[in-house]
Amino acid sequence: MMSKHSLINPESLRFLTAVSSSEFSRPTLAMGSLIASVFDASLGVVYVGEKANEFHGGAVNLTRQNLETWDIIHPGLDVLKWALQELKKLNPENTDLAKIQFNTDHVFEEDGRIKIIMPDKEDGRIELILREGELVDQLRKEIQLESYDLAIIGGSQNKQHLAHSIIQYLPSSVFVLQKFAPRKKYKLLLLVDDSQATAKSVEWGALIAQKLGWPVKTLTVSKTKLFGPGYQGAADMAKAYFEARNIDVEQHFITGDPVSTFVDFAGDDHIVIMGASTLNPVKQLLFGSKPIKTLARTDVPILIVR
Amino acid sequence: MRISADMIFWIQQKRWLFIAFISGAILYHFVPGPASLSPEGYHILIIIFMTLILILKEPVPLPAIALQLIFWQVILGGSTPNEVGSYFMNDAVFFIMGSLMLAVAIVSQGLDKRLALGIIRFTGNKTWRIVSGFTAISAILSSFVGPHMVTAMLLPVALTLIKFTSGDAKSKSGLTAALLFSIAYGATIGSIGTPSGGGRNVIMMNYWAEFGSGSLSYLEWMKLVYPMVLIEIPLTILIILKTFPPEMQVLDTAVRRLIVEVAHSGKISAREVMTIVLFGFVLLGWMLLSEDYGLGSIALIGVFLYLAFGLVSWKDLSLGVNWGVILLFGSTISIGVQMKNTGGAAWLADLSVGLLTAVIPNIEALRAIVSVALSGVMSNLLSSSATVAVVGPIVLNLGGDPILLGLSSVIASAFGYFTAVAAPACTIIYSSGLVKASDFLQAGWKMAVMSVLSLMFIALLWWPVLH
Repeated sequence: MMSKHSLINPESLRFLTAVSSSEFSRPTLAMGSLIASVFDASLGVVYVGEKANEFHGGAVNLTRQNLETWDIIHPGLDVLKWALQELKKLNPENTDLAKIQFNTDHVFEEDGRIKIIMPDKEDGRIELILREGELVDQLRKEIQLESYDLAIIGGSQNKQHLAHSIIQYLPSSVFVLQKFAPRKKYKLLLLVDDSQATAKSVEWGALIAQKLGWPVKTLTVSKTKLFGPGYQGAADMAKAYFEARNIDVEQHFITGDPVSTFVDFAGDDHIVIMGASTLNPVKQLLFGSKPIKTLARTDVPILIVR
Repeated sequence: MRISADMIFWIQQKRWLFIAFISGAILYHFVPGPASLSPEGYHILIIIFMTLILILKEPVPLPAIALQLIFWQVILGGSTPNEVGSYFMNDAVFFIMGSLMLAVAIVSQGLDKRLALGIIRFTGNKTWRIVSGFTAISAILSSFVGPHMVTAMLLPVALTLIKFTSGDAKSKSGLTAALLFSIAYGATIGSIGTPSGGGRNVIMMNYWAEFGSGSLSYLEWMKLVYPMVLIEIPLTILIILKTFPPEMQVLDTAVRRLIVEVAHSGKISAREVMTIVLFGFVLLGWMLLSEDYGLGSIALIGVFLYLAFGLVSWKDLSLGVNWGVILLFGSTISIGVQMKNTGGAAWLADLSVGLLTAVIPNIEALRAIVSVALSGVMSNLLSSSATVAVVGPIVLNLGGDPILLGLSSVIASAFGYFTAVAAPACTIIYSSGLVKASDFLQAGWKMAVMSVLSLMFIALLWWPVLH
């Protein structure tokens, strides 16, 4: 199951964090900053705002141009300005980041989005981007444009609807930080089965566990009491992969409904890592998938690996 | 063929386009039209049905919706390309184009700082007086120049006052909402006051002329409608202050800092004087000459003069104007005229009257209710101008006095207080990110009740005296 060659290139990872406001996005940004810094990855911070009704789009643009003459910036730029300050606070030792200044004169439109150019920054490590439109559509475009490996997004009130769109349509791995508390001690719960996505999930799990020192449990769930060679082999390979990297791992085998078992086992102190579904997209749309159902039913942070 | 997630996503994003066109195809091929409606009329109604779905759900950009209106009229509606083209460009479209250009030309001159100073000098630093001043000035200015220009100029003033008021966003949420809604609702209630207050007013005037329903001059319109604006101003202030009680009674520091900020702009420049003078001429032209030359032509004279005097560049105009909206109004008006010509509008009018006669036996009251309800509800879903473009031909076929029914429809189309979609002023304040969709509902229903009562008041007591 495990590939001989690594499926993830930890040297050139690109993460994208979506922020909505200073009020609600602090934990998401904190996690984005933390894992970007431990992975030494570049970090894009994107604000996706509501697009003005097209009928009045001209009037809104005219007003925004006029607001600029009063030094009043787009509300999304305000959020990005906050995000930059917050990143500086989260990374006090990062002297390159400390030099970066937010300057609205350095805002320019490119590829249907607004990007803040930061001339003082270290090349390509932090990007601030403003987009307008429907959330999943805009995140998808941003991920495709910049080839991000991981999108980090906060939990949503509208979870049932978003769970489906985020998991099925975002073309990168997705880390949904539901009820994430930055100071809480989490354990990693890796869901292992015989699917292709498990190999990459194990790699992600190992990288995170190594970098953050979080304990790891693997969970393999079978609907019958018999754990076939595929499941057993995947669990053993995962264990071996962790142990080869000196990461302690607890193995669990449980019989039951997979999604209910994941949700019950995760409780409220695990970060769940699972592979994206390899089901046909039409079947996923009609009947859902394990990741979609798990995300919809659990309240803990969940990383879906693609 | 393997279906990828990309394809599913694309289909999901475009599902309303498929729903619109497939339901249109089913209606066209498999559902026979009513016997009392001509085939052309039926086909025009199918096109309108598809277009309403596209406007409401926006699966394609607005200009694309305009384009499909044009070609469907030729393919399904039985019109010749030249026929569609001839209805496409008219005085209403000239006016919408001209007023959008005038807004770009005037807003870019920085006159808002003078306006801010004028308002603050007039109102002083008491919050209720500032809210009242914003509402009254927005209403009066918007009645002549349109709500988008007024909101674009006053929003920075309000946001600067909010910025200079101490405290975090939560501690001044009432003040924020009161100031922003005073501009949005003020501009919206004012936009009915004169024909130049909004594109929809001119669209209705155009329909009156096109359908041979009579006409109203600029000043006649004002006589009939302006009293309603004056009634609504104090009531709107009351509603805003009661719904969003400001946390601060006095904005002393904020006002002083605002005065310092705008004082930097120095003495009024020759450029600013010229801007005001030219707009004064345009306004006089609208009032005195529009019956002969049309509101649109006069607006375009104004634009020509702004360009000729170098007060605005063509580049700024072409970048600042939403050409898609102009395209959409042209095509919506052309389908409105076709709806009338093919009998589709009369059929819909008869249908709505027929359905409701049992409930409301008084035919005059029924016509008024249909006109107001249809316009009021649709304007909260579409935009007010698009509402009049679509509903206008139906209202003018209800029977009764087309001028008064048309006016009622235009006035009711300004009752889009419930959502951020209906009126440009509401969309603009919503885009500031400082008011929520629920705020519109909270104040909107009170505004709607007040506006309906005000309309009844002038329709029953004022119009019979004049008309």
